[in-house]
Amino acid sequence: MCSSWVVVLFCCLGQLCADQSLKPQIAAPEFAMNNPTLTTVALEKPFCVFDSSLHPNKSYLIYLYAMQESASAMSSLVADGSSRPLDSTFQQTNGGQLGPYKAAAFHVPSCASPPRLVDAGDVSKVSDVLKQYLFRVGDDGTCLYDPNFLDVCNPPLAPDTTYRFKYVLIDSTEGIVKDQTLWSDPIKTRRVKLPSQVDTWPGRRSGAMIVITSILSVLLFLLLAGILAAVSLAVMRPEGPSAETRCSPQTTQPSDPRPQLGSE
Amino acid sequence: MCGIALTAECIYFVSDPHGLYPLLEATENNDIYAAAWIGIFVGFALFALSILGIIGIIKSDRTLLLVYIILMLITFAFEMASCITAATHRDFFTPNLFLKQMLEKYQKTEPANDNDKWMIEGVTKTWNKLMLQNHCCGVLGPSDWQEYTSAFRDTHNDADYPWPRQCCAMNAQGIPINLDGCKLGVPGYYNSNGCYDAISGPVNTHAWGVAWFGFAILCWTFCVLLGTMFYWSGIEY
Repeated sequence: MCSSWVVVLFCCLGQLCADQSLKPQIAAPEFAMNNPTLTTVALEKPFCVFDSSLHPNKSYLIYLYAMQESASAMSSLVADGSSRPLDSTFQQTNGGQLGPYKAAAFHVPSCASPPRLVDAGDVSKVSDVLKQYLFRVGDDGTCLYDPNFLDVCNPPLAPDTTYRFKYVLIDSTEGIVKDQTLWSDPIKTRRVKLPSQVDTWPGRRSGAMIVITSILSVLLFLLLAGILAAVSLAVMRPEGPSAETRCSPQTTQPSDPRPQLGSE
Repeated sequence: MCGIALTAECIYFVSDPHGLYPLLEATENNDIYAAAWIGIFVGFALFALSILGIIGIIKSDRTLLLVYIILMLITFAFEMASCITAATHRDFFTPNLFLKQMLEKYQKTEPANDNDKWMIEGVTKTWNKLMLQNHCCGVLGPSDWQEYTSAFRDTHNDADYPWPRQCCAMNAQGIPINLDGCKLGVPGYYNSNGCYDAISGPVNTHAWGVAWFGFAILCWTFCVLLGTMFYWSGIEY
């Protein structure tokens, strides 16, 4: 009871009413499948988040701040004492390691007519749907090295690092912070493995290969045995006719004395 | 007849209708092609020897038939080697083998030597053609490019090229339909399935075709040779 009154008091005093329940969300996974990648994160734009703080006759901008999670211990403030937004860049904060940096500035997305994700199937509408629905942190690979670049630079993030994001509502005429979301949940960029870690060992031999090898080896062996048998039979057989000529004199001899016995 | 059929089949495989030979050459494991080449010559030899055998049986000539049997045994041994080679080396073609080769060689800009340069060109051209024709990306999926660092990643930063442009759905002119959709992975604007099926299908057909067809021919040749040997040993001088 007491603590909630204290929070409301601080909120009203500082005019920095942080929305208790809304944080930047990552873009819908079924819509943008490649997210987060090695160096980019696609976030949903803040639809209907700041509507309670908007006045109809004033113009507003939304700033997106990004920082590495390790920096939250050092400094996570996006505004100075007089509610002016921090103008830090990627280079100044060492890629978000020293504190939050401004990654983007865009108009407040329309709450009344949000983009329909089903329209993404239509080739002519998909660019608009993507532009209105999400913002890709880390999209611009060249702005860091272009000396003529004057806009807000959104360079690629570091791989395998946890980042946190925050949307801030700015009144463009006065240039002061009107509202901000909480810091998002930690979002980690991908981590890569080396191709040398890919294991190319084929595993055990397939059954078919074993069958082919074994049966063919047996067949070849049988053929060789067969040819040897046939050749050895052929070599032994020439002795056959000489054995018959030896037998024949024996068969004729006993037949000779018999006619003599018969005649006596 | 079998000989001619074998020759025809092996010529078909050697002509590489699917254009996958550079991938196999880069794995330095193209022995299934060697098996197919041997198959061509064995097939032709079988055909020639069968004519010799028929003449020998008609004339009942022992010497001719002995020559026939010995030459057929040599041919049998060669064909056996071809079958076993095709069957054994087919086992090496796992998805990981092609994945590693793709990551290390695709669009690599600094070849180590001329042989490496030749292999890199072959791999790059083959993969580009594969991805465009079969509407696929990577070996198991586009996530291959995200999970592993690669030679491609060295020259193309992740923000602009999470995967090669050939993985994007293309229109008739060969230009990606929507580049942002492709980079973000919006369904319909990039190829989400892997190319492994398109590679392993033809390679398996090739290896199994050479191996099993050769095996069948050899079984038949075995019977023929046994019969010839019996006939030979039965011929009187």
